[in-house]
Amino acid sequence: MRKTFLKLVPLCLMVALINPAFAADQGGKPSVNQQTQQSQQKEANVYTGQIVGKSEKAKTVSIEVGKGDQVKTMMLKFDEQTKGVDQAVKGHAAIIKFEMRGNNKYATEIKPKLAKLPEGVTEIKTETLQELLKNHTDMFLVDARPASRYGQSHLPGAVSIPVALLQKKQAAALPLNKDKLIVFYCGGPT
Amino acid sequence: MSTTNAGLAKKLGYKNILVYLDGEPAWSKANLPTYSTNNFIKTGNVVLVDIRPSAIAVQARIKGAYSVPYEDLEDRLDDVPRNAPIVLYGDDEVMDAVIDTREEGFNFVSLVEGGFNGWLLAGEPVETGPIFNTEIKWVRKLGKGEVSVADFRKAATGEDKDAVIVDARTKEEVAELGMFKNTINIPLDELSARMNELPKDKKIYVHCSTGARADMAYNELVNNGFNVKFLLLNISDAECDCEIIRP
Repeated sequence: MRKTFLKLVPLCLMVALINPAFAADQGGKPSVNQQTQQSQQKEANVYTGQIVGKSEKAKTVSIEVGKGDQVKTMMLKFDEQTKGVDQAVKGHAAIIKFEMRGNNKYATEIKPKLAKLPEGVTEIKTETLQELLKNHTDMFLVDARPASRYGQSHLPGAVSIPVALLQKKQAAALPLNKDKLIVFYCGGPT
Repeated sequence: MSTTNAGLAKKLGYKNILVYLDGEPAWSKANLPTYSTNNFIKTGNVVLVDIRPSAIAVQARIKGAYSVPYEDLEDRLDDVPRNAPIVLYGDDEVMDAVIDTREEGFNFVSLVEGGFNGWLLAGEPVETGPIFNTEIKWVRKLGKGEVSVADFRKAATGEDKDAVIVDARTKEEVAELGMFKNTINIPLDELSARMNELPKDKKIYVHCSTGARADMAYNELVNNGFNVKFLLLNISDAECDCEIIRP
């Protein structure tokens, strides 16, 4: 039953995938040269996307690939030879390499897709953030998840600014002072 | 999303940006306080608990709150599903209560901003007088694509003739444990090859043992234009109460 809620857990990574800035390093994504793209797709049997399900009993893993209307759920089998089966966790972004055996796709390797920080932006860990809050450091703490998730549970003093809202309101949603410390968080690299 | 927002802020010229990548889940896991908005408390499907002594709760409490003094909390929450969002308020011991409750396995535990006084100051509704709601009740709302147990049962008994059940478990599991009536066994990994066995003009309810495979099968069938829902329930759960036959 816990799964239902996991479904609602927003994902930093999913959005990172949708953002073109992050998609650039993925094979098979639209590129300038169509031919290169096609040959890449043929060679590289790779799916990148969010894991939407895994069954140990049936030995299958499902991953959501593509964007917008093109979103498709692909199901792959895995076996004892598959590397990193533990890395396939529902709701997390992953990269799955696979091969065809007959009509079935078999995962050969599953790797988590890690979040990438924009240039000039660094990470803050729990302890440091806790310190900042304890010392009442002057900062602007932003919850980037959908408003419903913010409603259920947010960090002390956080403001709700989902990605769509920031895209719409731009700097109007942020402090006037551009030197002010801003800390963004979401549902984790889940 | 935090990285996307950070990228946007950077472009807008903000110079001092950090991203807390571990995010809200890590924060609550570290047993640090998180808060619900008043709106969520009023409109969400939550279990709101006043952990102050009953005598105080009788004087005034947040509208809709259960009065459960801290010392009774563990007992009284025992039967509440662990995925219920729990919102607590009280006095000094409230953070201990949050930690206890999270350790009891509750996945979503948060606080009322500013406690009871914060609620009052915000002009939110309170109630006074004797407390009648003693048993904590919480029923999960169905998620996207889920079939209710009641509807599923109607299909399993044959009462609902417009529904077909698909059992996504393996043949071995079915042989060992039996299956429901009015059910076709299509193991998840055979689904794409055997989809043509399913009617497009009927409702299809998929189940497995816990709901994980049923959820995957649901996605696959939806993508292929079927009118499908899935059962998110451990079928050995007494709540299911569907007759089991041996194929």
